[in-house]
Amino acid sequence: MELARGLVAIGAGLAVLTGMMTGLGQGYAAAKAVEAVGRNPEAESKIRSMLILGAAIAETAAIYGMLIAFVLIFLFN
Amino acid sequence: MIVGATITFQVEVLSILIISAIILGLILAVNRAVKKADPLDKPKGILLLAVIYVRMMSGLAKDNMGNIVGRNYAPYLGILALYLALANLSGLFGMPAPTANFSVTLTLALITFIMIQRMSIKSIGFFGYIRSFFEPHPLFFLMNFFGKVAPLISMSIRLFGNITSGTIIMVLFYAFTGWVAALVPIIGVIDFVGPIVAPVLHFYFDVFVGLIQMYIFISLTSVFIGNEYSQPE
Repeated sequence: MELARGLVAIGAGLAVLTGMMTGLGQGYAAAKAVEAVGRNPEAESKIRSMLILGAAIAETAAIYGMLIAFVLIFLFN
Repeated sequence: MIVGATITFQVEVLSILIISAIILGLILAVNRAVKKADPLDKPKGILLLAVIYVRMMSGLAKDNMGNIVGRNYAPYLGILALYLALANLSGLFGMPAPTANFSVTLTLALITFIMIQRMSIKSIGFFGYIRSFFEPHPLFFLMNFFGKVAPLISMSIRLFGNITSGTIIMVLFYAFTGWVAALVPIIGVIDFVGPIVAPVLHFYFDVFVGLIQMYIFISLTSVFIGNEYSQPE
């Protein structure tokens, strides 16, 4: 039984690893947004809303991973 | 009624009712202010806020969906934004956030989904809609089908996941601070560490994430509907 609980914990940790690539992607998007604002500062508000939208969509994968981790921890414990 | 079934009263129902009452009161107050207002006078007070809000929402709708469709969908986006903002912020006032219940987010996403399909049928016709499942080849039916259903799942789970994770993290955090406070002998019976450290986390998880998710939900709704409309041209 103890072994099963440990395996569940490891599985939850692995599920949260989806956040790794999401972090990379969001950082890349933010860097590109900074570049775009530097190139034409008058489009700043439009770029900001697009950045928030894109970052949120990229975040979906991380949210799925986190949900799976929560399900593992609270349902299979 | 099925024999043996139990009726579970979910706590979120109460906060949904409270939020609906708040929105209703707000609408009635604005309505009274509008009726009393002089059209030639400058708006002030609650009327000014209402004017700014309506202008902001119709601007967002018209940016994403074009002038004609945007005007029709702006009221829905406005009330959705108000409801989601209040629902996401209700965690601050000790109420369970309705959006932390999957039924609520699934219902909201379902409304958006039906609107997308309706707009699609309206713009390319019923047979065009059926045909769009089998393009470019009948073998692509499954992929097209999941492509159509994906917004429903991803929108509902995105909102639900963000709000639920905030709630669960705050619960874990309060459990942790309670454990830390219990190490102090006499005053440890009350969780005195939590109120000192928690406001920053509350600001991030309730206010920031809640408002960002509200913005994302309404802009995704308008973008998806706008996409379906502009396709035939």
